[in-house]
Amino acid sequence: MLELGPIFRALLRNKIGAILIAVQIAFTMAIIVNAVFIIYDRSQQTKRPSGIDEANTFYINSSGFGDDFDIKGTITRDLEAIRALPGVIDAVQINAIPISGSGWSMGLQTEAGAEHDGQGVAVYMVDEHGIKALDLELLAGENFAKSDIRWRGPAGSKWPAKVIVTEAMAKRLFPELSYSEAVGKTVYINNDEPMIITGIIDKLQAPWVGWDNLDNAMLSPEKMEFQSTRYLIRTVPGMRDQLMKTVEELLAENKSRVIDGMRSIDYVRERSYRGNTAMIKILTTVIVTLTVVTSLGIVGLASFSVNRRKKQIGIRRALGATKASILRYFMVENFLISASGVVLGAALTIALNMLLVSALSIPPLDWFYIPAGMLVLCLVGQAAVFGPAKKATEIAPATATRTV
Amino acid sequence: MLTMTNVKKVFRTDLVETHALRDFNLQVDEGEFVAVTGPSGSGKTTFLNIAGMLETFNEGTYQLDGEDVSHLNDNQRSKLRNEKIGFIFQSYNLIPDLSLFDNVDVPLRYRGFDAKERKKRIEESLDIVGLANRMKHLPSQLSGGQQQRVAIARALAGNPRFLLADEPTGNLDSAMAQSVMELLKEINKKGTTIVMVTHDPQLATQATRNIFVKDGQVSEINDVVAMHVANG
Repeated sequence: MLELGPIFRALLRNKIGAILIAVQIAFTMAIIVNAVFIIYDRSQQTKRPSGIDEANTFYINSSGFGDDFDIKGTITRDLEAIRALPGVIDAVQINAIPISGSGWSMGLQTEAGAEHDGQGVAVYMVDEHGIKALDLELLAGENFAKSDIRWRGPAGSKWPAKVIVTEAMAKRLFPELSYSEAVGKTVYINNDEPMIITGIIDKLQAPWVGWDNLDNAMLSPEKMEFQSTRYLIRTVPGMRDQLMKTVEELLAENKSRVIDGMRSIDYVRERSYRGNTAMIKILTTVIVTLTVVTSLGIVGLASFSVNRRKKQIGIRRALGATKASILRYFMVENFLISASGVVLGAALTIALNMLLVSALSIPPLDWFYIPAGMLVLCLVGQAAVFGPAKKATEIAPATATRTV
Repeated sequence: MLTMTNVKKVFRTDLVETHALRDFNLQVDEGEFVAVTGPSGSGKTTFLNIAGMLETFNEGTYQLDGEDVSHLNDNQRSKLRNEKIGFIFQSYNLIPDLSLFDNVDVPLRYRGFDAKERKKRIEESLDIVGLANRMKHLPSQLSGGQQQRVAIARALAGNPRFLLADEPTGNLDSAMAQSVMELLKEINKKGTTIVMVTHDPQLATQATRNIFVKDGQVSEINDVVAMHVANG
């Protein structure tokens, strides 16, 4: 016996409190559901693998000074020395660090000419050690040969003849082909400089974690003849921290340069996603706070309504209501309020999501978040009302005969 | 119908022990209209609460319609109350947020009748009290006497074996009080047993039997009918 009709009609006669709570539930739902979705979205984003051996990799920056600084010789000797260190799997000179926030991007296109659109791609300049140092898997084609590697001068802007691209990039460029069929194809960089795809690697993320084309990356067979350079070093598991120190000391032996920065990739990831982590914490706080506030609102309204209706509850008990009927009465009443709240909440959730999609480039909400949010909010309502409702069942039937 | 034997009810607080009923003995037979009178604090309301199973008691036995109710649990008492007893309260005790129809419906829903049966009973009982045309009204739209009639309709709708009335005319002027009394007498004539608590001796004399309660005990039982006959 749910008494839906009479409860609903009685609610309509005391609607202000109920409407306020329903509206509160609606807003809470809209905010919580969107917040949960953003948290999920951001935490998934944070978890995306960069493709490299993050736990065992670090980079170190070196800046030479003086006009007589021997760039090529220093880089060659540095790499030889680092690669010879026990515990180093491989090392490579590289222009940018994946997911670090700064790097180079170019456009690759399948037809030459400025009138054709290119696909944005992150450029990593590496020698033949790049694949091993970055822990990449060559899915098709072949690695660069030592003879493929050329020196890029500070002013040099021509591009090498060969390129290795990620599987994702190959699919972008040649959507109709399988990635292995992309090997041997010519693509154009800088509108009309041809490069032949000689290899496909599995996964390598670009430096910019917020970029839509994060998985578009290419390896260019080059070493850089720059005063300032950067080495990426991959170690055997457990040796990273020790080798960071060793490599730093090793490079510091050359007094005509300074070491200006050394970081683990773990740190790079943490720094790049710090915004996400902070947002997740803030949103979690918002969710918890709103849930508590809304629950307290429900508890407050229900307690007030139980106190106000003490006599009525006593009368109902006198007329034959069991304790369970009284409990059910308040649970059903709350359910009616919550149900109307979450229906309104569903509309508000969608509206807020549309706003967020356009303002913050957040993906649109998956549909199932809405029913899940409705269910959760109703359950929160039922949980919140249970205490006051249980208290109502303790009101004695004899209250009905008291003339107070 | 209703038999209380040596019923004892004690209210205890940290400081005092109040004996509301002590060795309370009473038998009410089917078809009777019993008026219970007595001074304030004599135990009238406690008697009514126990008779209506709104309260438990400490000692003694209470048989309602042949069933010993002393050891029933809360749920069983609620069910029995709903089935066998109709309540009429001094302050009407209608639920202000519900229409007359929904008010009369309250005990019927607890009884578990289906919608059709409930509708029939609600309409019939509101018809008996002369308010069938005001079913959609709220209690606040009625006079005190009318509200008490609705309460009587609510008490009657479940077709109870007996009615317990607690100062049913206490809040009414004498004309309205008399019309409610007439209604109760009519209901009694149709076979419903009525126990009415009142402090008004004038009304009490209209019952078929008077019971005087003092210090938690039945101190005097007057057979009003016999008295009337003797006086008549």
